[in-house]
Amino acid sequence: MLRLEHVTKLYPTSVRPALDDVSMDVDRGEFVFLIGPSGSGKSTLLRLLLREESPSSGNVFVANWNVARLPNRKVPKLRQRMGCVFQDFRLLGDRTVAENVAFALEVTGKSDHTIRTVVPEMLELVGLDGKGERMPAELSGGEAQRVAIARALANRPLVLLADEPTGNLDPETSDDIMLLLDRINRTGTTVVMATHDRQIVDAMRRRVVELHLGKLARDDARGVYGATR
Amino acid sequence: MNGLAFVWREALAGLRRNVTMSIAMMLTTAISLGMLGAGLLAVRTIDRTQDLYYSQLAVQVALDEPTSAGDQDCTSPTCTGLRGELTADPLVAAVSYESRDQAYQRFLRIYAGQSILQLVRPQSLPATLRVTLKDPTRGDAIVSEYSGRPGVRNVVDQRALVQDLFTFLGSVRNAAFGLAGIQALAALLLISNTIQVSAFTRRTEVGIMRLVGATRWYTQVPFLIEAVITGVVGALLATGGLVLGKLFFIDRLLGGRLISNAIPAVGMSDVLLFVAPLLVVVGAAIATATGYVTLRLYVRN
Ligand SMILES: Nc1ncnc2c1ncn2[C@@H]1O[C@H](COP(=O)(O)OP(=O)(O)OP(=O)(O)O)[C@@H](O)[C@H]1O
Ligand SMILES: [Mg+2]
Repeated sequence: MLRLEHVTKLYPTSVRPALDDVSMDVDRGEFVFLIGPSGSGKSTLLRLLLREESPSSGNVFVANWNVARLPNRKVPKLRQRMGCVFQDFRLLGDRTVAENVAFALEVTGKSDHTIRTVVPEMLELVGLDGKGERMPAELSGGEAQRVAIARALANRPLVLLADEPTGNLDPETSDDIMLLLDRINRTGTTVVMATHDRQIVDAMRRRVVELHLGKLARDDARGVYGATR
Repeated sequence: MNGLAFVWREALAGLRRNVTMSIAMMLTTAISLGMLGAGLLAVRTIDRTQDLYYSQLAVQVALDEPTSAGDQDCTSPTCTGLRGELTADPLVAAVSYESRDQAYQRFLRIYAGQSILQLVRPQSLPATLRVTLKDPTRGDAIVSEYSGRPGVRNVVDQRALVQDLFTFLGSVRNAAFGLAGIQALAALLLISNTIQVSAFTRRTEVGIMRLVGATRWYTQVPFLIEAVITGVVGALLATGGLVLGKLFFIDRLLGGRLISNAIPAVGMSDVLLFVAPLLVVVGAAIATATGYVTLRLYVRN
């Protein structure tokens, strides 16, 4: 589903590569934790998968797309099949919860009919049915992240990329979000999640890929957070 | 279909979000296009006036008193000699003879009922050879060639007499085009700046759009439509301004008895059917081009 082949990413302004000859494979339906200290290249790896950035060398594949070689006009198609969520939720403050979810469908050209059926479905999936008319400011952090997840799933992505989705949440709320991500993964969506949260990684016992200074330091099928140090 | 509704809604929201800027942008565009329109109207008036005059203007070879007094139909040797030479001249298209009596009759027609008639006797009018030229700008050659010839009183190029008028209209046109250019630059910069501000205001929204896989149609076309609306509204305002200018300025200026026969009026159809569509097209085209370049240079797609 996802494949990196000897990927190196050197930002123009930095001396050390953010990613240094990283190769990895992720199968369809896998759940992968991406861990490593700050600055180790986790977000960079996710951005390469989204074609927010292009690698300095090496290849990136998502499903059948050769991501780095994809012509600009095809990038939207790629992104429609990749959902992503972030630490800061990135909701539109002047739209309701339902409108935020609908937004992803609207700007990718879905019909009104589709929007009317998919939005309530997504809100129910993330446990927010009945809260569609709320404004983002009226939500708790956990609820806001659920809206973001609902939006990310609205276009039925093949892969869900999550960059520290629990970074702004307290432990209990984080656990709820992890339950949700786990449930989504069990319905067949591949999940790649960058995190600093030791407890979560240790509790889930899923595949762990660790980066260190841009290099692949560890890849355990059922790992814990602190195995190497 | 949905996409169209979306970009349209976003464009209008963009214009509303920054009303003062939108108005400034539209007014500047309107003034620029209005100047352009005024210039175009001046050009049209100049062309028509030239058509009107040049078909009638000629070089007049006025004959001296003895010839004028005696010759009814250009049979005197002096007159036939001049006429023969003129007719053979390669610059000349046609020569016609107007006797003193005919000149007097024409004079009576033109100034019927006016007091100047009492001052004019047939004796004060010369007989003339009216020379029309193949190239009306070459009158000076005829003037220098035939001035001072025996039997010639003087040679007048009528075209040179009205040249001042055309020079004046020409400078009106140049000034209008010059101002139009300067204003167009101001309009261009304003539109470009507004799009940048607009894009900055909407960066979160556009960022999310890009992330969920919206095409450039959704992320960029709203800005272009904002620009196009500005261009078209500017053109409509400019047309309104030109209509008012025609009614309250040009019509009054040219409405005087003397000038109304000399310069053809600027018609309402000139403004509405000739200039207005041009301004709409030019306004929309320039705004779109500005928008496109701005998005290319300053806004990530
Ligand atoms: N846009 C950029 N321009 C230049 N350097 C960058 C850019 N983005 C990231 N970097 C550098 O690349 C390296 C990896 O950054 P990245 O954001 O991928 O790390 P991370 O593992 O996500 O860190 P964190 O856990 O703090 O989010 C860092 O050294 C960072 O300074
Ligand atoms: Mg990061």
